[in-house]
Amino acid sequence: MHEYSVASAIVDQVKAIIEEHKATQVKKIIVSASPYDVIIPELLIEAYGIITAELDKFKNSTLEMQISKAEISCLECDYKGEPAEEGDPEFAYNFICPKCESRDTHINMKNLTIETVDLVIPDN
Amino acid sequence: MSPEKKVVVKKLAYQVNDELADKIREVMKSKNKLFFNMMGSIGSGKTLILERLAAKLSSKYRVFVINGDVATTIDADRIAKQGATTVQINTGGGCHLSAKLIQNELDKINIDDYDIFIAENVGNLICPAAWDIGAQLNITVVSITEGEYVVKKHPIIFKSAEIAIINKCDLDGLGFNSDVLAEDAAKIKSGMKVILTSAKTGQGIDELITALGIEY
Repeated sequence: MHEYSVASAIVDQVKAIIEEHKATQVKKIIVSASPYDVIIPELLIEAYGIITAELDKFKNSTLEMQISKAEISCLECDYKGEPAEEGDPEFAYNFICPKCESRDTHINMKNLTIETVDLVIPDN
Repeated sequence: MSPEKKVVVKKLAYQVNDELADKIREVMKSKNKLFFNMMGSIGSGKTLILERLAAKLSSKYRVFVINGDVATTIDADRIAKQGATTVQINTGGGCHLSAKLIQNELDKINIDDYDIFIAENVGNLICPAAWDIGAQLNITVVSITEGEYVVKKHPIIFKSAEIAIINKCDLDGLGFNSDVLAEDAAKIKSGMKVILTSAKTGQGIDELITALGIEY
């Protein structure tokens, strides 16, 4: 279950953002990932809850995951963007280039992005 | 009531790990070192392949092997007997190595004391695929005893690799078939180098050394 590691990586980055903005509390974190990012949203959220349970500044915060578009790179024609269709029936994660119809494509599986963080900032 | 602020971040969750992995790769390249990441399933034969590699390479090269396992130093101890220097990382519950875990071990040694670095990742066919550890080449090992669909069922780990090893080929024909796995591994990623090995008999080890770009 590498979602625990991913949740830790998110929390570490958010800790730095808290510091940078001198925030007292995190309210909500929104992350996005494509359907092929090897992340199970429920497990990621569960791991986030476990990791932040003892962290005061994360108390009652939520992690929300949005689904972003899949992106392929075509090794034949240099197309970058959404695949033409869902996976090859024989090989999952192999996609067709919509531009040249090549099956020689690479799917980006590391899109998991921290989009926004809602913070509570104390009055000066 | 304190004001709330929405901060737009737009940063990859893997960013910190991947930046460190890039740094490790740069250091290795600048010092003319080789660093390989061996991934694969539990019981696929990764450790025996590394014993074979260590036995062949240690007379000419100074080999440093980083073993990742949930517990014990069994694998590191086995490989050390073949002439390599080894260190065992026990990940506890962790299912993969990371750039930070590798850097922690590199910080304890002088990189210049070694020529070839190999990490044996934690045995599983999913989690290590997402975590760049700074290697120049990723290797995925499966064995023919894992069934004829093992490549198709785990495409991600093969897409993350440049070399696919199909191991335990000494059992070919005894109810197991290496051909289907080798064909699937070749189809799953353009340019994939597929090597049939038997770590038990030594089959394919020389071909692996050549594929790694090591003069032997």
